[in-house]
Amino acid sequence: MSTLLSNHVNGSKGAGVADMAVEGASIDSAGPFDRAKALSAFKLGDTAFYWITRACAISVLLILGGIILSLIIGAWPAIAEYGLSFLTTQRWAPAADPPVLGALGPIYGTLITSIIAMVIAIPVGLGIAIFLTELCPIWLRRPIGLAIELLAGIPSIIYGMWGFFVLGPFLANHFQPLMISLFDGVPVLGTIFAGPPSYLSLFNAALILAIMVLPFITAISVDVFKTVPPVLKEAAYGLGCTTWEVVRNVVIPYTRVGVIGGIMLGLGRALGETMAVTFIIGNSFRIQSSVFAPGTTISAAIASEFAESDGLHQSGLILLGLLLFVLTFFVLASARLMLRRLEMKAGK
Amino acid sequence: MSEITIATSVPGVAPLPSGAAAQPERAKISVRELDFYYGDNHALKNINLNLATNRVTAFIGPSGCGKSTLLRVFNRMYDLYPGQRATGQVILDNQNVLDAKLDLNLLRARVGMVFQKPTPFPMTIYENIAFGIRLYEKLSKAEMDHRVEKALRGGALWNEVKDKLNDSGLSLSGGQQQRLCIARTIAVRPEVILFDEPCSALDPISTAKIEELIDELKENYTIAIVTHNMQQAARVSDYTAFMYLGELIEFGETNRIFTSPSDRRTQDYITGRFG
Repeated sequence: MSTLLSNHVNGSKGAGVADMAVEGASIDSAGPFDRAKALSAFKLGDTAFYWITRACAISVLLILGGIILSLIIGAWPAIAEYGLSFLTTQRWAPAADPPVLGALGPIYGTLITSIIAMVIAIPVGLGIAIFLTELCPIWLRRPIGLAIELLAGIPSIIYGMWGFFVLGPFLANHFQPLMISLFDGVPVLGTIFAGPPSYLSLFNAALILAIMVLPFITAISVDVFKTVPPVLKEAAYGLGCTTWEVVRNVVIPYTRVGVIGGIMLGLGRALGETMAVTFIIGNSFRIQSSVFAPGTTISAAIASEFAESDGLHQSGLILLGLLLFVLTFFVLASARLMLRRLEMKAGK
Repeated sequence: MSEITIATSVPGVAPLPSGAAAQPERAKISVRELDFYYGDNHALKNINLNLATNRVTAFIGPSGCGKSTLLRVFNRMYDLYPGQRATGQVILDNQNVLDAKLDLNLLRARVGMVFQKPTPFPMTIYENIAFGIRLYEKLSKAEMDHRVEKALRGGALWNEVKDKLNDSGLSLSGGQQQRLCIARTIAVRPEVILFDEPCSALDPISTAKIEELIDELKENYTIAIVTHNMQQAARVSDYTAFMYLGELIEFGETNRIFTSPSDRRTQDYITGRFG
């Protein structure tokens, strides 16, 4: 087209026309050739991209493997010394000769604090999420949502200090005596809520953990609840469901994968949380039936003793770390299993 | 020219009852001076009409004319959203649906709804049906099985799903899902069923099945259907309401609306000149 136009304009100048024609022809024949070249350049970029992303993915495996390996190497003296009895011994006496190290106390403390934290945080977290997405007047939505996000952003050391100076004394002076007197003499519950009240206890740590994991559960649940198509909720309301029935039978089943994911993220944090727990759990390796008694968790034990440890003691602490790793792995694995069961039940 | 074409292409329309100028039938739902607002937007303007008992009433009109909005007034679905309100009266068997003290769950059990897109719940086919029944009745396993089967038969789905009741409702095809939703709706024994463009997401064969089903359902239920498909309105309905810009332009027997509409806009719409 442009060649035609130039031809017309340059009609009197024969040489110019010839030049144009030659140029045009050379562009035409060069076209496919250049495209192949350009494509091959892309191909190189694509290959590089493929390998870079692959390297990123593989590096995760390498790092994970490296951590496990170094934990095992570090823990090996303790494994060789104590074997399986490490899991069943309650006594923790690194200063004894020879040192006696047992992980039962920290394991118990980790599980109990996490369980209590989740028992508190799951209903409250889901409750907040349901309120925010289904019931909350619009003007209140932002303030509450913002507060939840801020709660998630508070560093754990601040939770620890607050737990130590404010929550601990409050619980010891008001809540614990109430529970102790309430359940005094009741079988089982009487021993779980037994005195004396304490600033530093498993329960206090669990409550702090609950507050810390709450924003995770709430934030993720709110996000996944928002993905429920309005028409699906309308269909349930259209059958005459109450809000509770809609949430119970439609919203939660529809979003169960996401909700369980949020709960597991919270549980993962509760199991591994160190700083806040170390402040208020009391660091006692003895297992006591009362949740108001001091205790310790795996991560709190490591944090409070690692700096002054050496030899077998240090190896024992690394073994504790390995145990926490395994514990977290099993929690995640059982979560996957649970999801698959739920899906089978829903008929997928 | 096109009016005649339309008229001849609607063989499914019932013949005019003799001497029926107005509606001789008993009204199930009676709408009086209904206005509806989305915030400041006046979406329905002074609507007056009756839904006749055990008849199919079709609502047609261009998008945004308020037909779906009107449907959502009948079961107060709009109540779920802040800022939406209705004034006037919608009388369902001597009871004003718009009464603030009305038990909404009970109302929605009496006035079922089927939506544009199939909305099976995330559970098994059996549970999709049983779920609604359980809200109102405590039944033994055998009774529940019976009710589920009856509902699925009512939804013309039983033969296709009887061997896989424990599969997820989401595993069905779109047309089957929609019939599952109809079965689920009739399982709770409503008196009125509202269809909000029930076939717009379906293929022609599924559409034909649903239309056939609607024809059977009207023996027991009062039906209101919103549709963008003029032929569908002509095929399934006894009465047709044409709405435009929030107003009810014309309402009458389907046969008359499609053969001799009295309003210019109705005629333009059904002949495809706008909309």
